[in-house]
Amino acid sequence: MLNFTKFERINPEKRDVLQRLKDFNEIYEVFGKQRAKEQADRCMQCGDPYCHTGCPLGNFIPAWLKQTATKNPDLAFALSNETSPFPEILGRICPQDVLCEGACSLNTGHGAISIGAIETHISETAFAKGLKPKFTDRKVDKKVAIIGSGPSGISAATFLLRKGYQVEMFEREDRAGGLLMYGIPGFKLDKSAVDRRIDWLIEAGMKLHLNCEIGKDKSAKELEEEFDAIYLGIGAKDGRYTGMDGEKEASNVHLAMDFLTGIQKRNLGSDVEFIDVKDKNVVVIGGGDTAMDCVRTSVREKAKSVKCLYRRDEANMPGSKKEVVNAKEEGVEYVFNVSPKSLKVENGNVTAVELLTTSMSDPDESGRQRVVINEGSEYLEEADVVILALGFSPEKPEFLKELNVETNSWGGVETTNYQTSNEKVYAGGDCQRGAHLAVTAAVDGREAASTIINALS
Amino acid sequence: MGCNLDLLTSFKDNCGFGLVADMKNRPSHSNLEDAITSLERMMHRGAVAADGKTGDGSGLLLSMPDQFMRKIATENGIDLPEVYGVAMIFAKDLQDIDTFKEFCEQNDLKVVLTRDVPVDTDALGQQALDSLPHIIQVFVVPSTLMSSKRFDAMLYLTRKECEHKLIDKKDFYIPTFSSKVIAYKGLVMPTHIKKFYVDLRDEDFKISFSLFHQRFSTNTLPQWRLAQPFRAIAHNGEINSVESNRVNVKIKSEQIKSEVFSDEELGRLFPILQIGSSDSASLDNMFEFMLANGVDFFKAARSLVPAPWQNAPHMDADLRAFYEYTATAMEAWDGPAAVSLTDGRHIGCLIDRNGLRPSKYVITKNHKLYITSEYGTLDIDEDNISERGRLQSGQMIGLDLKHGKVLKEDDINDYLKSSQHYAKWLNDDMDYLQEYIEDSFLNLTDYKVEELEKKQKYFNITYEAIDQMIEPMAKDGKEPVGSMGDDTPMACFSKVNRNFTDFFKQKFAQVTNPPIDPYREKIVMSLETGFGRVQNILVETPEDAKRIKVASPILMKEKFDVLFSFGDEKSPRYDEYYKNRVFSTTFTTDLKASLKELAANVVKAVKEEGVSIVILDDREINENVKLIPMAMAVGYINQALLKAEVRHSATIVPVTGEVYDPHMAAVLLGFGAQAMYPYMMYATTVSLYERKELTKYEMQRVLKNTQKAINAGLLKIMSKMGISTIASYRNSSLFDALGLSDEIVNDCFPDAHSELAGLGYEDIEERVEKSHFNAYHDDNHMFPLDLGGFYKYINGGEYHDYGPAMTRAMHNKSATAKDEITDFDGLKKLVQDRDKKFVRDFLEFNSDKTEISIDEVESKDEIFKRFASAAMSCGSISPEAHEAMAMAMNTIGGASNSGEGGEDKARFGTLKNSKIKQIASGRFGVTPGYLRSAEELQIKVAQGAKPGEGGQLPGHKVTPLIATLRHTVPGVTLISPPPHHDIYSIEDLAQLIFDLKQVNTNAKITVKLVSSVGVGTIAAGVAKAYADKIIISGGDGGTGAAPLTSIKHAGNSWELGLAEAHNALKANHLREFVHVQTDGGLKTGLDVVKAAMLGAESYAFGTAALTLLGCKILRICHTNKCSVGVATQDEDLRDHFTGTVERLISYFTYIAEEVREILAKLGYKTMEEIVGRSDLLKVIDDEFAQKFDFQNVLRRIDGIDTCQKESNEPFDDNKFEKELLKKVHKTIENPNVPVKVNTEITNLNRSFGALISGEIARFYGDTGLPENSINLNLKGIAGQSFGAFISKGMNLHLDGAANDYVGKGMNGGKIIINPQHQGQDFAGAGNTCLYGATGGKLYVRAAVGERFGVRNSGCISVVEGTGDNACEYMTGGIVVILGNTGVNFGAGMTGGLSFVYDPDKAFVDKMNQELIEAVRIDTDDTERERLYLKRLLLDYVHETESEAAQHILDNFRAETRNFWMVKPKNMTVLPLDPDEGD
Repeated sequence: MLNFTKFERINPEKRDVLQRLKDFNEIYEVFGKQRAKEQADRCMQCGDPYCHTGCPLGNFIPAWLKQTATKNPDLAFALSNETSPFPEILGRICPQDVLCEGACSLNTGHGAISIGAIETHISETAFAKGLKPKFTDRKVDKKVAIIGSGPSGISAATFLLRKGYQVEMFEREDRAGGLLMYGIPGFKLDKSAVDRRIDWLIEAGMKLHLNCEIGKDKSAKELEEEFDAIYLGIGAKDGRYTGMDGEKEASNVHLAMDFLTGIQKRNLGSDVEFIDVKDKNVVVIGGGDTAMDCVRTSVREKAKSVKCLYRRDEANMPGSKKEVVNAKEEGVEYVFNVSPKSLKVENGNVTAVELLTTSMSDPDESGRQRVVINEGSEYLEEADVVILALGFSPEKPEFLKELNVETNSWGGVETTNYQTSNEKVYAGGDCQRGAHLAVTAAVDGREAASTIINALS
Repeated sequence: MGCNLDLLTSFKDNCGFGLVADMKNRPSHSNLEDAITSLERMMHRGAVAADGKTGDGSGLLLSMPDQFMRKIATENGIDLPEVYGVAMIFAKDLQDIDTFKEFCEQNDLKVVLTRDVPVDTDALGQQALDSLPHIIQVFVVPSTLMSSKRFDAMLYLTRKECEHKLIDKKDFYIPTFSSKVIAYKGLVMPTHIKKFYVDLRDEDFKISFSLFHQRFSTNTLPQWRLAQPFRAIAHNGEINSVESNRVNVKIKSEQIKSEVFSDEELGRLFPILQIGSSDSASLDNMFEFMLANGVDFFKAARSLVPAPWQNAPHMDADLRAFYEYTATAMEAWDGPAAVSLTDGRHIGCLIDRNGLRPSKYVITKNHKLYITSEYGTLDIDEDNISERGRLQSGQMIGLDLKHGKVLKEDDINDYLKSSQHYAKWLNDDMDYLQEYIEDSFLNLTDYKVEELEKKQKYFNITYEAIDQMIEPMAKDGKEPVGSMGDDTPMACFSKVNRNFTDFFKQKFAQVTNPPIDPYREKIVMSLETGFGRVQNILVETPEDAKRIKVASPILMKEKFDVLFSFGDEKSPRYDEYYKNRVFSTTFTTDLKASLKELAANVVKAVKEEGVSIVILDDREINENVKLIPMAMAVGYINQALLKAEVRHSATIVPVTGEVYDPHMAAVLLGFGAQAMYPYMMYATTVSLYERKELTKYEMQRVLKNTQKAINAGLLKIMSKMGISTIASYRNSSLFDALGLSDEIVNDCFPDAHSELAGLGYEDIEERVEKSHFNAYHDDNHMFPLDLGGFYKYINGGEYHDYGPAMTRAMHNKSATAKDEITDFDGLKKLVQDRDKKFVRDFLEFNSDKTEISIDEVESKDEIFKRFASAAMSCGSISPEAHEAMAMAMNTIGGASNSGEGGEDKARFGTLKNSKIKQIASGRFGVTPGYLRSAEELQIKVAQGAKPGEGGQLPGHKVTPLIATLRHTVPGVTLISPPPHHDIYSIEDLAQLIFDLKQVNTNAKITVKLVSSVGVGTIAAGVAKAYADKIIISGGDGGTGAAPLTSIKHAGNSWELGLAEAHNALKANHLREFVHVQTDGGLKTGLDVVKAAMLGAESYAFGTAALTLLGCKILRICHTNKCSVGVATQDEDLRDHFTGTVERLISYFTYIAEEVREILAKLGYKTMEEIVGRSDLLKVIDDEFAQKFDFQNVLRRIDGIDTCQKESNEPFDDNKFEKELLKKVHKTIENPNVPVKVNTEITNLNRSFGALISGEIARFYGDTGLPENSINLNLKGIAGQSFGAFISKGMNLHLDGAANDYVGKGMNGGKIIINPQHQGQDFAGAGNTCLYGATGGKLYVRAAVGERFGVRNSGCISVVEGTGDNACEYMTGGIVVILGNTGVNFGAGMTGGLSFVYDPDKAFVDKMNQELIEAVRIDTDDTERERLYLKRLLLDYVHETESEAAQHILDNFRAETRNFWMVKPKNMTVLPLDPDEGD
C-alpha cells in the first residue's frame, strides 16, 4: 500500500472515439488484474477514510482496495458486496469525482484512487470466476412487496432477501431495472449487468411481476392484504418543462426520458417507436447527467449537430466532469451561460430556440454563484429537435391515495425513517427524496430494508 | 477502590543509602561517626525543606552497642546477662508500651528495663516535632531457659504479634527488637541526627557496623515510622513487582512449615507482610521472615533479588541451577534496588539485575568496608584505600563479621551453587514441555474451528483486528506499529462492542522507577513459566524441583496437549501432582451468579479433589450460551482460591478466544493466569492464510510468528513497568480498571487501581448479550465479520474524536478567507454534541456567579500566554510544519515545543525559535546552545501515546538536516531508550533538574508525565525535586510511531490524571510551588475551560494544531509517506504542505475568544480565578452518567489552587560554582585571555561546570570559547554530573574521582580525571557517563561504571574499564577502553566506534552482537585505525600519565593485536579523523 508516490492515478482505458460512436456499447474497458492491483496499491489506508464517508453507501473502500492490492480477490468481492447491492453497476455509473474519489485524501495533488474502476473490476472478475452474491438459506415468514424495479427497489430486495424475507417485485414495464434499464444509455451501462442482478434476485427467491402496474393490473388493497410490508421505489420520472410557450405542443420538443427510453428499447430489440434524430440539429437543454446521456445518445444516432445549452458556466455544471469530457470527445458542442427565452415555432415544429446570455455573480455567503441574465442579449439557436433535460419530478400514481400515503408539495412521498403515513408502507429513492443518483437510491433501498426488518422482527 | 482519596497522600520513596563496617567486627565510636558523616554528605539525595531540618527521614541500623547498653543498664541498677535484647519503640500512646510488655511476658521474655530515649527536640523541624512520638527502649532477657536462637525467634514473634494487635495505631511502631541490632532513626536530617539522639554522642556508644539511609519521599507528609533502615535492610529503589510479590507471599503463606516456629506460632506471626506498608518495608518483612526461620542469609537475599539467569548463557551451569531451583519457590522482587542487608552476623549489599541503582564500595587497608550511593562521602586518605569499586548489575558483596572476611560475587556464588545438588534435583524432577513435542504448529486440526466466523464476531475479531493486528503479527512476528493518538472513548463509555480487556489500562514506570528496554536489554528479561504447586519456601528439598517448564505462557496446541496429558487421568503420563480439570466459562443467564457458581466449583475441585491445573475453557460458546469474560473469570477465581487458602495448589490456564493481542494476554496474566492457549488467534491465522495456499512449513512460520509477537509484546508491557520476568509480573494487577463497579473490582480485581467506578455485572452482561446476539443472530451475508473501527474510523464503528467530520470542520474547505479557514462554529458544535464520549463530556458548568459583560473579561492575549503546542520533533514532522508551529505560537505569545531531536540553531533568537526545548531519553541535539535558547526546558518522562517506551527513527528518515540536528550522520538509525538513563528514581530526577537549572538559570524546568492512577504521587515527588512546572498528558496523545496496543491501552485520559495530580499537590502543600499544564485532545474553548477547572493553568495542543496545518489524520506518519507534507521528511511530499501560520493563529484566536465568552457567562474575569475550581462543574443530568462515580475528578480539597512562585528554587544554591563563575567571567567576556583556577571539590559540589557552560552558551551558543580558554584544576571526589553539558573551551582536570553522570551532554572541552590509584581495578567515575554527549574529550585513568557512553554522539573518550551496557545506543564519537568491560556491550549501537583492549580474549562474549561487529586492527587495511588509536593514546598519556596506556604504547606493535575495533555492522565509512586524536 501507500504506493501513490510510485504510481500515477490512471483511469480505465476508453475505446477509440470513432469506434465507440458506431455502437451503444460501454466505452470504458474494465481494469485488468495488474492495473487494478497497482492502482489499489496507491491507497494510503487512512485513519479517516474520507472515501468511505464520502460514499453514500459507506462502502468499505479502503478494505477492498487493500484486498485487491494484496491479491485477495474473493475477500475484496465479499467486502465490496456487503454494503452495496450492485457495486459493479455503481462503479460504472456513480459520479465518483464528487463522491468517493472527490473525498479521497490523495485527491489534493496526488490524484485520487481510481475507486470506481477498481470497484467494477472486483465484481466483474469475481463473476467471471463464477462467484455470485450470497443470500441466506434461512427463511423468514414475512412478505414484502416492492413496487418499482429501479435501483432502490433492487437494493431493498437484495437486503431483504439476504435476511431471508420473501420478496415480490412489481414493475409496470416489460423489463426490470427501472432507470438502470431504460434511463441510462448502454454506452454507460451494459444492460446485461442489470439483468444479471435481477436474475440473481429471482434465483434467491424473489418473484418478479413485469407489466404489472399497481392500481391497474393489481389493486393496492390486494397488496396491502397480501403483504406484511410494501416498499415504494417508484422513482421520479416526470420530466420538467421550461415553461416556454409551445413547448408541450411542438412535435419536435421531447422530454429526455422519452428520448432515452425509446432508443434503449429499440437497442434491446423491442419493436417500438423512438425519436429519430439522424441528420438533425439537436439541441439539449440542461446540464445534468441526463443531458449528457441525451447528447451522447444523439451523436450515436448520427445527428447532424448536437449542442448542449446550459445556464451556468462549465465549472458550475452539475453533470459529471468525465461525462463532459467524453461528450466533447464524441463531438458534442457545449454552449454555456445561455438561458432559453422562447421557442420559434413553425407548423407545430420548433425551428430555433431564442437564448439570452448569462453571467455568474460573485459568490454569496454560502459560496454559491447566482445566474445573472444579460438583458438584451437575445439570439437564436437553430434546432430540428429540442430535448429537455431539466430534471424530474415524482409521478403521483392514484394508488398512493388508496394506500393513504401522503405526499408533499412537490409530490414526493412523505416518510419518517422511510416509513410513510401508512405504517405498512415504506418508500425510498427518487419518489421520496426527489430525483437523485442511483447510489442514493441504493442507500434508501438498503436502509428502508433494515427499517422494515426491524419493524417486522 | 473507586474513591481514590488515599492516593493523594500515598507515596513512593527513593534515597541515598550505604553502610559502614569494621571487617574485624571491632566496635568503635568512629564507625558511628563515619556512618553519620556519610549520610550527611548524601543529603542532596534526600529531600530537604526550607528550614534545613525537616526532611523525609533518615536513620541508622547499628550493631548492638553492647558497651553502651550495659552501661545504661548498670546505671539503672541492672546487671544484664550475656543474652539480652533491646526494643526501640515509637509510641504516642504509652499504654501501647504496656501492651508490648504483655506480649513479652507471654513469650517468656522478661522486661528488665524501660527507658525513655533522651532526645533533643531542637534538632527537629516543625512537622517532625508535631508528630514526635515517645521514643522508648525496652530491655528484655529470657525468663526461662532458652537457646539464643530461640530467644531471637521469640523477639521476632513478640514484635509481630504486638504489631498485629496494634495495627490500627498508626503512631505505634517498633523500629527494631533484637539482640544484635538497633535502629536510631526518625524524621530528622542526617546533619541533626546526632543532636537529636543524645545516645549517639556518647563515646561509649561503639558499633562495629551501621546501615544508613536517607529517604526521599514523593509526598510531604512524612512519618516517623517510614524512615529507613528497617529491621534487616535499607533499600534504595522501588520494587516494581511489589503487588505481585505481596499476593504471592499470601499464596506461599498458605503452605509454610517452619523449623523454628510451630504452626500455632506461625499463626500468630502471619501475615508476613505488614498491611499498608511501603514496597521496601514489604521486602524487609519478607527477608526478615526468612532469616527468622533459619533461611541462609545469602540464599534469602539472592532468592528475593536474583541475578538474571534465564537468558545469561555464560552463567556457570551450577549457579544457574541454584537460581532455577530457587525460582520454583520465590519470584524476583523486581525493580531498581540497591539493598544493604544484615542479619547481625553478615552484612551485604546487592544490586538489581539491571544495575539501576548505584552502589559503590571502598575497602581500606585498616579493614573498613564502606558502601554508599556515591564516592567521596568520607574523606579517606587515598593511600589507605586498597580497593575502590562498585557493584555491577545483579551483583552482591558480603561481609562475614565472624571471620572478618569480605565475600565478593564469586565467593558468594561458589557458596550458593555448591550448597545443594540443585542441578541433580532439577534433572530428576523438572519437565520441559518442549521435550515432549516433535514440533509445533504442524497439526492444524485444533485450529479448524466450527462456526469460525460467528465466533470471530463474538470475540470481536473484526476485519480490522485481523488486518491491523493478527495479520501483521503473523507476517512479521511482532506487534504492528501505528501513529497518531487514541481518539476513542474508554470502553466503559463506548456504545459499540468492545473487548472486556479494554477496561484495563496498562501501568507504566515514570520517575520513581525506570522502564526497561526489552529489546536492547533482553538479557535480563524472561517469560519462562512453570506449572506446579507452590512449595514451602523455608526448606530446600529435592521434591521441590518438581515443575513443568515452558519458555512462554502463550501455549499452542502441541504444548497445551502435553501439559494436559500430565494432568489427565486417562493419559499414560498422568501424574496426580498435575491433576487437571476443565471448566467451561459459558453461561446462559445471570452473569454474577454463574461466575460465583463457577468459582465455587473450581474451589471445590481444588480443595476436595486435588485438582491442581484449572483449565478455564471458552470453546463451548454457541448460539445458546454466552461467555463469562475470561479476565473476569480468572480474576474472580484467583480471589476465590485465595480466600479459600488453596491458591498455592492451583494453576489457572485459560483456553480462550479472547486473546489475540499482547494487551489481552497481559491482562489475564496480571490477574492470575499462569499460561494460556489462545486458540482463536491461531484459528484466525489459519483461516487467513489458507486462502494463500501456504506450504505446511510456511503456515507453521506464520503461526509461530503470532506467538512470537505476543511474547515480544508481553516483554514490552512488563518492561514498561520495569519488570523483567513474567513470574514477577503474574498476579501483579498492574492495570487501572476504568469504569467498573466497586463490586466487580472487589470481587475480581481488588489489587488494581480503580477509577470512575461504574458498570456492574448487569451492565457487563448486557454488553455480552449484545455481542452474542450480533454474532449468532444477526448475520452479515457477503462479508461475514464486522468491519471494526477501533483503530481507524468506520461508519457505525467506534466513535473517533478526530473522525472525518471533526477534521473537515477544522479544514473547512469551502472557506476562502484565511481567518475563515476553520469552521469553528461547526467544530464547537461537534465537540459539544459528541455526547458522553470523554470524561469532560459528562461535566457541565455550575457557576456560582451571574453573567458579566465580555468586556470585563481578560483579553485574548492574556489567554494566549497559557497556550503551547505539544512536543513534536523536527523529524517526526517536517521542518515546514515545525517552523510554522513555532512562528504561530511566538506570534500570539504562546510557546511552541521543539520536541525531542534538536532544533536548527539558525532559528535561535528568531521568531522560529521554540520557547520550549525538550529533553527526552535520546538526548538528541541537547547541547548547551540548545538548552540556553529555551525559556522552558521540558523533561519528557513519558509520552501519552506510549508511556514507558522508547522509540526509533529508522535510518531512511535520517536526512542530512535531521542528522545535523541530532549530531549524527545521515542514514543512521536513531534509538530513544525507554528510560532516561539518568533518571532511575526521584532523586535522579532532582539531579537532572538541578543540572538544567545550572546550565540555564533563567529557564523553567518542566516535567512531562502521563495520566495514570497514582500520577498524583509522582507529581508531588516531581514538585519536591524542584520542577517548576508539571504536565499531565492524556494517554491519548499522538505519536509518529508506536506499537498499536501501546497507543490504545496505556495511559488514562487527562481529566483523571489532572484532577488527581492537582489534588495531590494540594494535599502535600506543593501546589503553590508548581505550575500545572495539561494536554490531550483539547480542541475548543470549552475543553480549555474544563481543563482549567480541573486544575490546569496552561494547555497544550498537539493533534489539533497539526490538523490545522493540514494533517488529515491519515495515521501513516510512521511510513514517511504523509501525503500532505506534515509528518514526512520526503522532499517531494513536503511540497504538498499547505499549512500556514495565519491559520493556526486564527484557530487559537477562536479558542481564546470562546474561552472569554464562557468566562463571561460564568461571571469570571480571568482564567486564574477558575483554575482548580472543580466546584464550578457538575455531572450532567443523564441516566448513563449516573452510572459512574466522578468524585475523584470533581474532588476539591482545601488549599491554594495555583502556582504562586516565580521559580521552585533548589535547596542547594550551588554557591561553589557561582563563586568560580565570577573568577572566570573575564574570560567569557574576553575569550582571548585564558584563565586557570585551582581548587578543591567534594561530592557535595554537583553538576560542576554546567553553570559556567551555560553562561558561555548564553553568549556564544554551541560555538563556545576557543580551546583551552577556561582551565579548572580540581582536587577531590567530585559530585554527580561532573562536567555536565560543558561547552567548548572548558577543560576540567580532576585529581581524584567522580560520581555518576560525568560528562553528561558535554559538547566540547576536556574532562580529565586522574585518580591516584589507576587502572581497571579502581573506579575513577560512576555510572552513565557521557550520556548524550555531543563532543569534547573525556579521559579517565581508571574504570568507570555501568552504561558508559550511552547515547554518545560525538565525544572522544579513553577509560581503563567499564561496567555493563557500555556504548549502548551510541550514535557517534569514539570510546577507547583499556580494560575490562561488562556484559551487553554496544546494545543498540548504531554509530560511532569503540576500541577495546582485550588481552584475555574475553570481550567478544560480552558484546550484544545484534547490531555491531568487532574487527581486528592489525591488518593492512586498518592502517588508519591504528594510527588514530596511537595518536589518541599519546594524547591520553600526555594528559593522564596512564601507566596502562604507556605500556601499550611502548609495545604498540605487539599490543595492536589485543585491540578490537567495534563498529556497527552496516557502517562502511569510519568517522575517523586522526587529527582529532591529538
